[in-house]
Amino acid sequence: MASHSSDLENARVNSPNPVKYVSDFFDRYPIHKNYYLRIFLQALVTIWAVMSFTFVLVRLMPGNPVDVLIEQILTQEGISYQEAYDRVAASFNIDPDASMLDQYVDYVGDLLRLDLGTSITSPGTRVIDEIARFLPWTIFAVGCGFLISFVLGIVLGMTMAYYRDSVLDHSLSLVSSFFTGVPNYIWGLLIIIGPGITWKWFNVGAARGTYDPGLTPGFNAEFIASAIEHALLPIFTYVLATLGSWMLSMKSSTASVLNDDYVNVAEARGLKDRRIITSYVGRNAMLPLFAQLSISIGFVLGSGVVIEEIFVYWGFGHYLFQAITVRDYTGIQGSVLILSSTFVFSNLLADLTYGLLDPRVRITGEK
Amino acid sequence: MYRKTLLGLLLVALSLLAFAPVQAQDNVLNVAWPYQVPPTGHFNTFASGGIALGQYQDLHEPPLAVLMWATGDYQGMVAEEFGWDDDGNYVISIVDGNTWSDGSAMTADDLMATFNIFRLRGDAVWANMSGIEKVDDSTVKFHMESPSSLAERIILTTNLRPASVFGDIADRASMMSPGDDGWDALLQELTEFRPEMPVSGGPYTIQPDTISEANLMLALNPGGFAGDIQHYDMVRMWNGETEVVTPLVANQELHYITHGIPPTTEEDFANRGIDIVRSGMNNGPGLYVNHAVYPLNMVEVRQAIAYAVDRIQNGVVSLGESGVAVEYMTGMSDGLSEAWLSDDVLDSLNTYDHDLMKAEELLMGVGFSRNDAGHWVDDNGDTLSFELTFPQEYADWSAAAENATAQLNDFGFDISARGVQFQQHPQDIYSSNFEMAIRNWGLGDPIPGRSYLQAYNRYNGQGEVAGEGGGAGMNFDNNVDFSGGMVNVFDLSNMSSQGVDKDAQAELVSQLAVSYNELLPAIPLWERYTNNALNRNFIMVPDAGDSIFANFGGGADNWMTTLILTGVTAPADM
Repeated sequence: MASHSSDLENARVNSPNPVKYVSDFFDRYPIHKNYYLRIFLQALVTIWAVMSFTFVLVRLMPGNPVDVLIEQILTQEGISYQEAYDRVAASFNIDPDASMLDQYVDYVGDLLRLDLGTSITSPGTRVIDEIARFLPWTIFAVGCGFLISFVLGIVLGMTMAYYRDSVLDHSLSLVSSFFTGVPNYIWGLLIIIGPGITWKWFNVGAARGTYDPGLTPGFNAEFIASAIEHALLPIFTYVLATLGSWMLSMKSSTASVLNDDYVNVAEARGLKDRRIITSYVGRNAMLPLFAQLSISIGFVLGSGVVIEEIFVYWGFGHYLFQAITVRDYTGIQGSVLILSSTFVFSNLLADLTYGLLDPRVRITGEK
Repeated sequence: MYRKTLLGLLLVALSLLAFAPVQAQDNVLNVAWPYQVPPTGHFNTFASGGIALGQYQDLHEPPLAVLMWATGDYQGMVAEEFGWDDDGNYVISIVDGNTWSDGSAMTADDLMATFNIFRLRGDAVWANMSGIEKVDDSTVKFHMESPSSLAERIILTTNLRPASVFGDIADRASMMSPGDDGWDALLQELTEFRPEMPVSGGPYTIQPDTISEANLMLALNPGGFAGDIQHYDMVRMWNGETEVVTPLVANQELHYITHGIPPTTEEDFANRGIDIVRSGMNNGPGLYVNHAVYPLNMVEVRQAIAYAVDRIQNGVVSLGESGVAVEYMTGMSDGLSEAWLSDDVLDSLNTYDHDLMKAEELLMGVGFSRNDAGHWVDDNGDTLSFELTFPQEYADWSAAAENATAQLNDFGFDISARGVQFQQHPQDIYSSNFEMAIRNWGLGDPIPGRSYLQAYNRYNGQGEVAGEGGGAGMNFDNNVDFSGGMVNVFDLSNMSSQGVDKDAQAELVSQLAVSYNELLPAIPLWERYTNNALNRNFIMVPDAGDSIFANFGGGADNWMTTLILTGVTAPADM
């Protein structure tokens, strides 16, 4: 101890610009008071906490990958438990005797090298490759759905607010309430059963998948057209399922802005309706929705599980669902890490950008 | 603004029409099995994640032989000649003239490669085998410790793999033994091996560029086994579990499924003119009890429960026409009982027909009585109050549990049913964490002794194997005393699969059946029958009642793949 203290003292004396204590460092460089750095670090700690929690939680789930596959084989094939166990145990890339701490240390070490590990149930397949296979389809379909429903919701919500208490307002309110109340999987099933099976407007089988078999993914017209075609039903479902809430939110927000003094002043000044709508009402009414949209981006990845199963449009949701079903620990961990990072960083993005849009909440200086 | 909105909606509606209905191609067989797409799915069918396609694996990796369940005889497929030699070894010669889809000839090397990989994986087939020997280009000899009908079945129902793909790993495995340096590394190499292309020796080959989440295509492989007698150019394998494939069947795009469907879906399919094919599956749900819980360890109590539950009602409530009440209560299916037991033995069995009076007599005979509320109390004055657990995600088993609970409570038991997450439920049984439970009896296997593995092995002391630290399962003592004497029923069930003398095996099976019937270690409720949806408007197969439908369809010996391999399945308009 004495020797250690002495070393520190020497270091301070010999240093041209000595830093006596850690607190001195922060006094001199008050980075901890930097708002942006602080919330960024908070985001990283949140992700680490979720990652660690997930690591423990998946191992506390009933059954493990070996048990799950044994039960599957026993259900599908007429073989004994011992035969199923022998076959499965040799097929997996896990060490059942490794302690949870050892597994955690290995996992974190891999993560620091940006390696999500290899799939347990498909040994040798990298989790990052699997996620890369499925993630873009979810981003594409759910992203398009959210964008379309957001834009439509803004327009229709403003319309409802402008024509308050009219037949149009009441009709749209009824429709939007109905849309909001029906879960997305019900819309999916209704689309399959009604237009698909009963009225045969489209071919249920041909609509499945993310693109037509035989095509090579790439920037070519045939593939892009096929990808859009296959995404239409999921996108349509996402729009139906989320449109109502955007409409109602925008209506509420617009109605409140319409009563503000500056709108009355603008009208009194004789400004054109178009200008009032866009510059005075629309911009301000959209502010609360923008925050909502930023947070909703986090839901983009997680909201497609059931829809992707119904339309056999396999994206990230399907991958996560499948990983949970077969207890593919590395697959679950990788997926949840991506999900939680998206949530956290979309919230961070909302925090950082909201001030740019609304000067009233802008944070200045070292706050 | 309105015009733009309307235009957008119109575009969406028009886009839906892009998937205008198309007629199914005449020469494509539409069937279904769930699989994973690459990169999770791959073409190494020895490893987890391989795109094997369940029973349809027979179409690209053909079986050596198929057991015809109605007669009990094997019909050779890739194996042209097969049987025991005078030294008790098994010898197989495969058909000459077939080629794999990569152009290599199908020879004994493929057999050697396949079974050497099994050895590397530690498959059960090697438990009774000391080695394999290539006799000539088409013949392989399996050196056995002793002849056994179980070993014969495991060998013959093997799906053959190509030496051109797996030969290298197999050869290296053949030169090593478990525990050698490099053995584990070789096993890991096998599980991580990813062939670039699927290589088929059967009548159809997977087309890698057609693999999508929706389906994949298998194209005719003329040089493969049975490739020259096929009536279809292609097989379309639809992907998905029951809820995913059901709309396709209803929409007449998918013409045959082996997925279990609920009775309401059956009814809808029937209304659409779709046939439901039923075959006994040799297994079903049973009422298991923890023999460490008093008084469930008393045979009279278990017999009383058997009398008190109307199994016919339980089966119909749970699975409609596919829930067929067990009659003989031998621990194996009625079909196996009739095939293996003499008439005298069958006549001697107690069928435990629904009879509340007999149940009452049994309980009163051991000193139990009813309290003022009408509930049964045991000789210690405790109410017969138990918890019955069941895997809550299994609709038919859940219904069986609820119905059995209701019937037993009406009789005076005090039972509460509780659903448990389906992956947790077997773990609870393995670790003896239950009082009463719904689990499966029997096994989809024609060898009768194997039906007893559930009650005497899997759910009775399998905790160690299942990773639960040596749980005792249902705590049943396998050393039993019955009217035929004292026997160890687990040993008996293993012995009955050994040897090739059917009469000797039948004698052991009789002891198993009678002892089970008397002691009822678990109470079978009903046998699950398949309810395969078959659209005969598109597929021509023999009429219902044909003996081929005894090949129930799970795993090996599937009737549909057998009919395809023998060139019988054809388009309906042929």
